[in-house]
Amino acid sequence: MNRIESHLKKLKDNNEKAFITYITAGLPDMDITAGIIKAQEKTDIIELGIPFSDPIADGPVIQQASYEAILNGATLNKTFELMKKLRAEGVDKPIVFMLYYNTIAGCGTDKFVKRCREAGVDGLIVPDLPYEEQGELKEALKGDDTTILIQLVSPISGDRIPMILKDARGFVYCVSSMGVTGQAADFHKEVMDYLTYVKEQSDIPVMMGFGIRTAQDVKPMKDIIDGAIVGSHFITLMKESGYDLKVAGQYSYEFKEQLNRL
Amino acid sequence: MNEKAYYGQYGGQFVSESLMNTLDEIDKAFEEAIRDPEFIKEYHYYLKQYVGRETPLYLAERLSKKYGTKIYLKREDLNHTGAHKINNVIGQILLAKRMGKKKIIAETGAGQHGVATATGCALFDMECTVFMGKEDVKRQALNVMRMEMLGAKVVSVESGSNTLKDATNEAIRTWAKTAEDTFYIIGSAIGPYPYPKMVKEFQAVISREAKKQHMEAEGKLPDVVMACVGGGSNSIGMFADFIDEPEVELIGIEAAGKGVDTEEHAASMSKGKPGVLHGTRSYLLQDEDGNIKLAHSISAGLDYPGVGPEHAYLHDTGRAKYVPITDSEAMDALMELTQTEGIIPAIESAHAVAYAFKKAKEMTPDQSMIICLSGRGDKDVNTISDYLAGKGYLN
Repeated sequence: MNRIESHLKKLKDNNEKAFITYITAGLPDMDITAGIIKAQEKTDIIELGIPFSDPIADGPVIQQASYEAILNGATLNKTFELMKKLRAEGVDKPIVFMLYYNTIAGCGTDKFVKRCREAGVDGLIVPDLPYEEQGELKEALKGDDTTILIQLVSPISGDRIPMILKDARGFVYCVSSMGVTGQAADFHKEVMDYLTYVKEQSDIPVMMGFGIRTAQDVKPMKDIIDGAIVGSHFITLMKESGYDLKVAGQYSYEFKEQLNRL
Repeated sequence: MNEKAYYGQYGGQFVSESLMNTLDEIDKAFEEAIRDPEFIKEYHYYLKQYVGRETPLYLAERLSKKYGTKIYLKREDLNHTGAHKINNVIGQILLAKRMGKKKIIAETGAGQHGVATATGCALFDMECTVFMGKEDVKRQALNVMRMEMLGAKVVSVESGSNTLKDATNEAIRTWAKTAEDTFYIIGSAIGPYPYPKMVKEFQAVISREAKKQHMEAEGKLPDVVMACVGGGSNSIGMFADFIDEPEVELIGIEAAGKGVDTEEHAASMSKGKPGVLHGTRSYLLQDEDGNIKLAHSISAGLDYPGVGPEHAYLHDTGRAKYVPITDSEAMDALMELTQTEGIIPAIESAHAVAYAFKKAKEMTPDQSMIICLSGRGDKDVNTISDYLAGKGYLN
């Protein structure tokens, strides 16, 4: 069974919600990235962003993080090495790559998937690869559960949602505001209706991402969603604390605690 | 996979999920509009009465004599706002209006597409925001002023390399958040489907006119048709009506900057490899990690690391040939055209002129070629004067 899926099953059995964070690989360097991953004891799933020159689905915080990581020498190769090292050290947490399609295409889809499996990458989130363009990647992922493709849905996906969820794996990543990461959370009625609809349609856990800072932010939809994803805010927190691993550990602990007491 | 979004293996819709329904709406509205005689009538009305079409197909007499073959110039430089960009803006803005959108966004590099969009927005009373890289805002101050005079808001984009590709990224991000009331007018033959198709449709007027005009003048099709290629809007418009005429040779001219063997060029087909940027799969300048490299050209309009997907397809199938021309070759051709015909071309268009001079040497006096003179050089006088003064150039 895929590592993300077995972990989420465990959470479901314990009636727990999932806490997911995003960090950019190589910000400020690969060793500190490894430290940030290991320090977050309570975080259920790590999204590891592969820096790309033109991150069109990211807001200013992650754009800047991506840019700095590239300047600091981050590459796909080094990220695979980081993954292998973490797995060799016994880090068993589910880790998902969030990356742009050209990073996969540049490597070659088959070769990329092979390397993900070897390095223990559990899932892929590709924000510029909508359902219609996923054929080649899905073909390469077929027949082995090690690495799975995570689907994204947005408030204006509307009647596309059943199609997208039909063969979705792991969890569904719900974009909460319109389209770009890091925007202020705007939890109006439409968002509630949208999350409710996704939950109704989905056989797998539903996670809400984009714009969340604290567990309190997701209180209004606690009975709908199965977990929360924090990206831009976590990066800001890391930067402002000078990449203090204690801060990462504390944030992970507090968010997860509160999330399950909402 | 949406088959119709592809030109061979190129094209597609590589955008965030939140834009997929928007693209579908645009596609439907566009297909409906181009089949609606009223829409087409309105589009041609504005092209004639406002833009000033049709543009002449001018036989450059002195050049023809000098090079020993008939050299025709398709005078897109004579359009209102000074380049072919306005053709597409009128088409897309009428579509936006038809779809009930009130706000327009656009990206711009040198500012030509931004000025054309701001012009269209003034004409049709739309709210206009133009995204422009911080570096371009600095070096194209005059165009920034023109856009602001026309009532547009110019957003200076500070991310990545602060140039056209970053302005495009920012326009796409804004669009993803505001698509309900906002229409994104892409100026190049790039972007997710149906944009490459729309841009071609609205620029095809160039070749429709040229074909008819050449037929009237020569009683036959031209032997060669050529145009410069950055993202590829004027060239796809210049090729459109000739693609199915196999006896007409199609040549696209890429910017070789300081040379294709240097790191400073914009020759995505000569030196790039297929990849995905700005919603489409095509040839791109990129490194081994798939990160996009910076393009370099003396001409801001060709300073883009990718190319429209249909060009990539025409390249691979061999229907069109793509050749590089360096900064200095383009500048020499610019001066020669200026001094022999009294026409100051845009530096972009001068790339096509430069290759035409090379190509003419293998042609005969009874053969003919058409060069798309996509824009006028007024916007480039600062760059030209710096270049002539030996100071290098701004771009």
